[in-house]
Amino acid sequence: MSSLASDSPYAVELNQVSKIYPGTPPVEALSEVSISVPRGELLGIVGASGSGKSTLLHLVGTLTRPTAGSVFIDGLDTSGLSDGALSGIRSRNVGFVFQDFFLLPGVTATENVGNGLLYSGTPGRERKRRAEAMLERVGLSHRLAHLPNEMSGGEQQRVAIARALVHDPSFILADEPTGNLDSQNTASLMELMVSLNHDGATVILITHDPEVAEMCARQITLKDGRIEFDSSTVPGNAHD
Amino acid sequence: MTERAEIQMELPKSRLSFLETLRVGSSGLRTRRLRSALSALGITIGIAALISVLGLSASGSADLIKELDALGTNLLTIEAGQGFGAGPVSLPDDAPAMIRRISPVYEVATVSKVPGGVYRNDLIADGRTRGITIVASGLNLIDAQQGSLKAGVFLSQVTSQFPAVVLGAVAAERLGIRDLSIGHQLWLGERWFTVIGILNPLLLAADLDRAAIIGYGAAEKFLDHDVDADVIYVRAFPEHILDVRSVMAATVNPESPEEVQVSRASDVLEARVAATSTFTNLFVGLGAVALLVGGIGIANVMVIAVIERRNEIGLRRALGATRFHIATQFLSESLLLSGIGGVAGILMGILVTAIYAISQDWSLVIPGLAVVGGMVSSVLIGGVAGFYPALRAANMSPTEALRTG
Repeated sequence: MSSLASDSPYAVELNQVSKIYPGTPPVEALSEVSISVPRGELLGIVGASGSGKSTLLHLVGTLTRPTAGSVFIDGLDTSGLSDGALSGIRSRNVGFVFQDFFLLPGVTATENVGNGLLYSGTPGRERKRRAEAMLERVGLSHRLAHLPNEMSGGEQQRVAIARALVHDPSFILADEPTGNLDSQNTASLMELMVSLNHDGATVILITHDPEVAEMCARQITLKDGRIEFDSSTVPGNAHD
Repeated sequence: MTERAEIQMELPKSRLSFLETLRVGSSGLRTRRLRSALSALGITIGIAALISVLGLSASGSADLIKELDALGTNLLTIEAGQGFGAGPVSLPDDAPAMIRRISPVYEVATVSKVPGGVYRNDLIADGRTRGITIVASGLNLIDAQQGSLKAGVFLSQVTSQFPAVVLGAVAAERLGIRDLSIGHQLWLGERWFTVIGILNPLLLAADLDRAAIIGYGAAEKFLDHDVDADVIYVRAFPEHILDVRSVMAATVNPESPEEVQVSRASDVLEARVAATSTFTNLFVGLGAVALLVGGIGIANVMVIAVIERRNEIGLRRALGATRFHIATQFLSESLLLSGIGGVAGILMGILVTAIYAISQDWSLVIPGLAVVGGMVSSVLIGGVAGFYPALRAANMSPTEALRTG
């Protein structure tokens, strides 16, 4: 599906990225952050609120542009691309998972998952087929025709994960995916994330929960818009 | 920069077909059924009002024109007009005979106004005539008017010599005489007359609807009236009617043709058709106002929808929707709302027109222009109403739209 240059070993690369929100005084949410995310990695980004996690997520997801530095998606420099081109990249290379699920109300689980393929121009019948297969993969084959309000929070988040994965993106970008779940659902959701990662999915997970972050192979801690700690740079602790 | 442009050309684009856009728009409406129905209702009422007003007026005038055609447009009415001198002007005594000599004329009926009132009995005070006049007429009046009887018979050679009276439709109603199952007697100022017939309304001579018609013989004998023709009804062959009309005044009164007033009864009816169309314009204006209010209702609902569904907009942007996709989604919702409202309004308008036309025994006429105009205007309204909300949704920044709380 993805026609981006995919000879790069990295799904995402941030090169000296800064984001400054204008105002009086201007707020520097991120300053000169560089992160490389190889394919197949499960990366947890931890930080207190105000540390710049959300800005980082928006930058990696091409929802906003950096003030300085560049964001590479699958080896492609996204700086200077038009809004339409960035939308095209999101429709094929990025899979979003949100804290509040953001499932469309009044629409079945299958259709919600199928929406992950909507803007890549996939025909309706194929959307349905792939959505059903993906719902089965996340363990919801018994919930295909259910509406969001007929499902538990944990189930809704699984539907959202299926939606993020259905178009076979380069990476999943999950923003506090366990923020609205109890500890039991959190554990089983993280189990799913780890299992999807084992199957080859690249996952970038943003959380403020250290326990969730610990389940990730690589962890980055953000503080005041800078990287405070990156487990991949600690000797003997590098990911493989 | 050209290099970047080249890269952009090669990049995969977000795509959403026209049909998918409509599907997305309709799914937005389907998940909010009640609100969608209520906001489409304004357009429905406006369009229904327009269609039914135009449909009713078209059906009504079609009916009137049909009646006109049936009654004929070849009836001329000749009366004495206003003279220059003082005193009343009258038609010359030999006028009917002169008119008969105009060759395209095939029917000449005369009527003479008889002073006096018509009363239910001889105890009612003089002057309380209920606006009913007495006229004396020849036997062919009903043929000249192409009139028909609701009950009884018209005057005959025999009954015109006797105290017998035929009532016009309005006169009969005012006197409370609905049928002739019991013999009705009326007091015509000097003596009792027997009612022998009731006319149906005469569209071309409303004056006669308010008249009690007696024979010339009876007028002379019983009411002591000198029977001069006051009004002459003339039928001529339709293709020559204008020629006949142009020579009429001079034929009737060669000395002073300006004292003769010639009118064509069908002209009066046509004027009535024109008068009703003035009211039609008024109602069309009201319908247009309803349509405008309906459009404002849709615009209002769409503005609210954009604010309420901020997260959905953010989600769709994250899923790869472009600004254009977001704009067309909301625009198509608005167009669908007004389009559905418009179709429902057209159906409702046709239904109302059909029900009324059937109840009035009219033939149903739905002006095609009103239907097309109604559809076009509802779609236009939807487009205008949805334009600003769609633009607002499209220009929302994705990160702002994804914010919760």
